[in-house]
Amino acid sequence: MEPMTFGSDAHALLKLDPRTKLFLFLTCTLMTINTFSMTPVVLYNTALCAVLALCGRPWTALKAFVLLMVTVYVRVTVNAQGSVAPATLTIVFGLATLVLFCFPVFLSFSLLVRTTRISQFLAGFQAMHLPVRVVIPVAVMIRFIPTVQEEWAGIRKAMAFRDIRTDIGSVVLHPMRTVEYVLIPLLFSCIAVMEELAAAALARGMDADRKRSSYETVRMRIQDYVVIVVFCALLVYVMMTRFGAM
Amino acid sequence: MSKLNNEELQTQQPDKKLRTKDLIYAGAFGAIYLVLMLIIVMGSSMIPVLYLLSPLTVGVVCGTVYMLCVVKVHKFGAALILGILFAVISTMSVLPGFILAICAALAAEVVLWLGKYKSRFLYLLSFVFFNINMTGPFLRFLYNKDAFIADTVSYYGEEHAQALSAITPDWIFWGILACAIVGGIIGSFIANRLIKKHFEKAGVV
Repeated sequence: MEPMTFGSDAHALLKLDPRTKLFLFLTCTLMTINTFSMTPVVLYNTALCAVLALCGRPWTALKAFVLLMVTVYVRVTVNAQGSVAPATLTIVFGLATLVLFCFPVFLSFSLLVRTTRISQFLAGFQAMHLPVRVVIPVAVMIRFIPTVQEEWAGIRKAMAFRDIRTDIGSVVLHPMRTVEYVLIPLLFSCIAVMEELAAAALARGMDADRKRSSYETVRMRIQDYVVIVVFCALLVYVMMTRFGAM
Repeated sequence: MSKLNNEELQTQQPDKKLRTKDLIYAGAFGAIYLVLMLIIVMGSSMIPVLYLLSPLTVGVVCGTVYMLCVVKVHKFGAALILGILFAVISTMSVLPGFILAICAALAAEVVLWLGKYKSRFLYLLSFVFFNINMTGPFLRFLYNKDAFIADTVSYYGEEHAQALSAITPDWIFWGILACAIVGGIIGSFIANRLIKKHFEKAGVV
């Protein structure tokens, strides 16, 4: 498994500013909340896949695109079937919806995390003139969500060795036990990572009150503006399909 | 090693201001809280009853995370930052829900402040207030149920929406609020037990 915690845009064809990626994340969340019809969903998700591919993650983008197409196909076919077998239909429809709903959020989040180094984040946030109290929790949160996933996978494996299963059946049968056995190791390992992170932050002088200088240069370039304009147009289109049709 | 550093820092600056270390704790616990919350909510959103009960389940599971966060920082701001991160991620689409979630976090912070960040009972009580933020996404039941059901039709289909509509009478929001409060109480009991059993022994808090 490739290390996924630390992003990098070394192989990217298109190097975007962290602020642009943050903007993409916010617009994609807004769009997925506000749209229900298939055409805008396919449109903006395709655009997102294209950006992700250009930013140095072509294989992830390709896999995501195939998943998107399959889900849309399933959803449209199921929708056209009418109510044949209501129970199965509801489950398949619900699953497809869940995938479509989460898709842009996860994809733009992986764009944000996997193609950006944490120092680029900090430099980008600093360029937005946000106070430290906003910058650090948000940056740490973004950095930490993949860590939680990794620890979670490790804990599942460790528990499987001791014959403690974390599937749905055992969660239903012994909810408290499963919660304790999963949550406690997760919290312990995450606290260890947090203390290392705090020590690293101290060593890098994050506690100092002076303005930090940075090795990274963050600057909005022409490609950033192009991407922003494209996604703004998509957002306007989505909003028009939502509110214009009513 | 890092423990030594922390103690030195605290003797140098015994202040009530949030330092970088505290901000890191708040952000990281926020990430854990949100991941757990999203797993639970997404997993249960397929089944209407479980979806309506999600404030309770989230409270039971996430209580320990919240409690560790505030106990580890024990200064003004930890619960508030956690609450704001929660509100931004989960209730961004519903403005009244967003305001409700922020107010819940503020209330929890006030309860902690009343206990001068020392009282164990008030630590536990504050989670009951904090967990009210889970009702934010459901606030639409209170003032705009029809729109909520219409959205559900387009997301999950007619069957699911009918099932959801059948089990949601007009007072459902108050039921969800009660769920959130009960979840908060159970969650804080579990957190108390687990923290005593594991984390105090290990000297983490």
